Amino acid sequence: MKRFIIKRMAQVVVVLFLILTVLFVLFRLAPGDPVERMVDPNLTLEEAEHLVEQLGLKEPILTQYGIYLKNFAMGHFGHSFHYGQPVAEVIWEKLPNTILLFTTAVILAALVGVSWGKIAAWSKGKWKDLAFTVAALVTHTLFLPWLALLLVWFFGYRLEWFPITGMMSEEVWLDPDTAWWQKAWDVGYHMMLPLLTLFLIHFGSYLLVMRSSMLDTLKEDYIVTARAKGLSEKAIRNRHAAPNAMLPVVTSVGLSLAFSINGGALTETVFSWPGIGRELVFAVSHNDYPLAQACFLLIATVVLFSNVVVDVLYAYLDPRIRY
Amino acid sequence: MVTIKKFRRLLLNLPAAALLAAIAVLAVWAAPAQSAGNGILKIGVLEEPKSLNLWLASDAWSNRILSLMYQPLYLREPNSMELVPWLAAEQPDFDHKTLTCTVKLRPAKWSDGSDFTAEDVVFTGHMIYLYQMPRHYSKWKFIEKVEAVDKHTVRFVLNKPMAIFLSRTLTTPIVQKKQWASLVKQLEGSERALQEILQHDFEEPSVTGPFVVDKWKKGVFVYMKKNPHFFGQGQTIGGHKLGPHIKGIIFKIYGTADAAILALRKGDIDFYWNDIQAGYLKSIENDPDIKLFTNTKSGVYYLGFNLRRAPMDDVAFRRAVATLIAKEFIIKRILQGYGEVLHSMIPPGNEVFYNPNVPKHGAGLDRAQRVKAAYEILSRAGYTWETPPVDAQGKVQKARGIKTPDGKPLREVVILTPPADYDPHRAMSGQMIQEWLREVGIPVVSRPMAFGALIQTVKTQHDFDCFVLGYGKLALDPGYLRAFFHSSQDKPKGWNMSGYNNPEFDQLATESDETMDTAKRRDLIFKMQEILMSEVPYIPLYNPVLVEGVRADRFTGWVPALGGIGNIWSLCEIQAK
Repeated sequence: MKRFIIKRMAQVVVVLFLILTVLFVLFRLAPGDPVERMVDPNLTLEEAEHLVEQLGLKEPILTQYGIYLKNFAMGHFGHSFHYGQPVAEVIWEKLPNTILLFTTAVILAALVGVSWGKIAAWSKGKWKDLAFTVAALVTHTLFLPWLALLLVWFFGYRLEWFPITGMMSEEVWLDPDTAWWQKAWDVGYHMMLPLLTLFLIHFGSYLLVMRSSMLDTLKEDYIVTARAKGLSEKAIRNRHAAPNAMLPVVTSVGLSLAFSINGGALTETVFSWPGIGRELVFAVSHNDYPLAQACFLLIATVVLFSNVVVDVLYAYLDPRIRY
Repeated sequence: MVTIKKFRRLLLNLPAAALLAAIAVLAVWAAPAQSAGNGILKIGVLEEPKSLNLWLASDAWSNRILSLMYQPLYLREPNSMELVPWLAAEQPDFDHKTLTCTVKLRPAKWSDGSDFTAEDVVFTGHMIYLYQMPRHYSKWKFIEKVEAVDKHTVRFVLNKPMAIFLSRTLTTPIVQKKQWASLVKQLEGSERALQEILQHDFEEPSVTGPFVVDKWKKGVFVYMKKNPHFFGQGQTIGGHKLGPHIKGIIFKIYGTADAAILALRKGDIDFYWNDIQAGYLKSIENDPDIKLFTNTKSGVYYLGFNLRRAPMDDVAFRRAVATLIAKEFIIKRILQGYGEVLHSMIPPGNEVFYNPNVPKHGAGLDRAQRVKAAYEILSRAGYTWETPPVDAQGKVQKARGIKTPDGKPLREVVILTPPADYDPHRAMSGQMIQEWLREVGIPVVSRPMAFGALIQTVKTQHDFDCFVLGYGKLALDPGYLRAFFHSSQDKPKGWNMSGYNNPEFDQLATESDETMDTAKRRDLIFKMQEILMSEVPYIPLYNPVLVEGVRADRFTGWVPALGGIGNIWSLCEIQAK
């Protein structure tokens, strides 16, 4: 196992280096530079050239690449061209918001999806199976921005149950007497609609994976053996079939959790949720190289390490797997 | 028994039940948290400021907040658009012989309580000059010397007469010397000093404006509270009795216009500080709680030609294209009536410099008349057709096989536009122009291109035929005509994207830049517009009308101006109802 982990970590380092290089090249291939986008007649050609030089974009491309690798190796992500702030600061301001929303959504969706997928498989061919499967297929294939806007319009505007968008109420956060739990409550209140949207979009995939895996498991000999031993249906389902059917779900949930730091530009934009997904799209569209590169690198790093964790987890979950 | 079973099933689905329960409970408990603030104006915006550093944050979204903080010596009065003394105490005293301008300053304080002095003005100029500050340097580089005569008097000495001195240099926002001096000293000798300046961030910038930033939750809201040291409080400036009469402003950041407009209708915000697109207006117009303000912008949207290439290098071709374009149709159908037709590169809202008597190609003609007029222009220039657009009886017909004066078939012309998701008006205008040009047989295709790529293709590479672009917020000083059409700007990344080169225009542009007498300059600018509209390197198309919405039941006293009600005068004058 130790050898396996060391080998996988070495692979991660090589892949990370490749990703760093690809990111650097891709952004330089994109048309224009951050200054060129400033279509403002007040910015004269001389001023624009001076600004490009100050941003270090006039250096030869190999020099830029060398500085870029050196900075990343030392943990310096540079300053955002747009905000003028250190990139790490911009990311740390937005990342917790994304993790809070997306991780909660993934966990909730996984719990419900697995639970309902189990029931659907157990009731194969009956109305419950049909209802869960249709619900999963319909919600999973909905167009996210449409669903999000519909929920905002209905629950936020028509019923006025929830705020239209945003993450916090100014009144609560500007009041110096507000306790921490009131602030937490306020964020939870604002999180409901985006959470509901993400839950509806994602629970279906876990349900379908679990159902399919469970159906395969139910055909196994050990299930017949368990029945022959006279175990109750509940015990067979929950203690013998479900744990064995969990493997594909673990992969799916593990990777979803990793990708949750990426957030979702669409969800975050529609709900004005100040997260990393929105920031990433903004950085790419504004040629903010340092910020966009750092965001992508962060996502790549988390996903690569999550893969290693999922691989290791497999060995614990399935005694047949040995590295 | 059945009920127990159902209950057990519900328990199995606990996570879903928990989510639903949380939704219900929060909906009931937390809803009262939505209450209107007392004397606090809530404004919806689509982007937060880049930074509170004036030198970095010069974009339109940042400017909404920073324009309430950093103040200039002179400001435009919203009705007359004349410059009135703002941080200055009176009109500038300009000596044309010695090119010296003396400005007396108003007694004012920075938000930290310290005095605003002539030293701050001198220091601001020094910073701009020293670091070649983007967007400001060109307005200051002709200043030979700026000195503090006394605590409240500044003297500028120019090395040559420059028209923009009064309208642009003296309207530069002033920064506090005390706050920047130590950083400037630290950066002496640094190669990347400008970068350091742009990256510098203050938590509490000292400002002279009516509001200061009190709290900024990144990506969510910015709270500005009233500046107790604001020099204008209770004063009458430019005929306006100033407040502010409100405690503060909350800028709420929305991800989409849909969300911001719903928030306005629901009452979560009092003012949506952005142009409301025509598609939203039908539903808003009938809402009794919303009041709409319609104002003109200082904008120009246009079709540009690449004069470095045939057939765009032929003035007859360009005039024929200008004749074929029905600008009224673009306003009526594409902008749904929310815009004005442009016949010059200076919009009519700029009353001082707009020349109403420029050549107006095809104005007032119907479709058939336009085709006939364009046919006549092209025929006279030597273009021929296999099947001309007008038959022997003078009837318009489908044209085919157009040939250039040298007998070669006219090649396909490409019109580049931004994509529809970036700007549907420009993308659709490109498509309409394509159809109109095809009526006389010009092979043309309108092609949307990602904005970044479009700018690079047009401005840097000059690898294009035609393009549709625009400027939403042009300065009132018409100095931009020189930037757009002077031959010295015809280089990669230069502003003369069409490659227009006319020595007579160049001379007029240089002369106008150095003419400080407004009447004389006006004549020169009028002449420049006549030349441009006769030679049409650009065809001005439209200037969209700005529609803004406020809650009718919350605040009153909004001040309409060129560019909308979102201005410092409004925010200094509005009062809660």
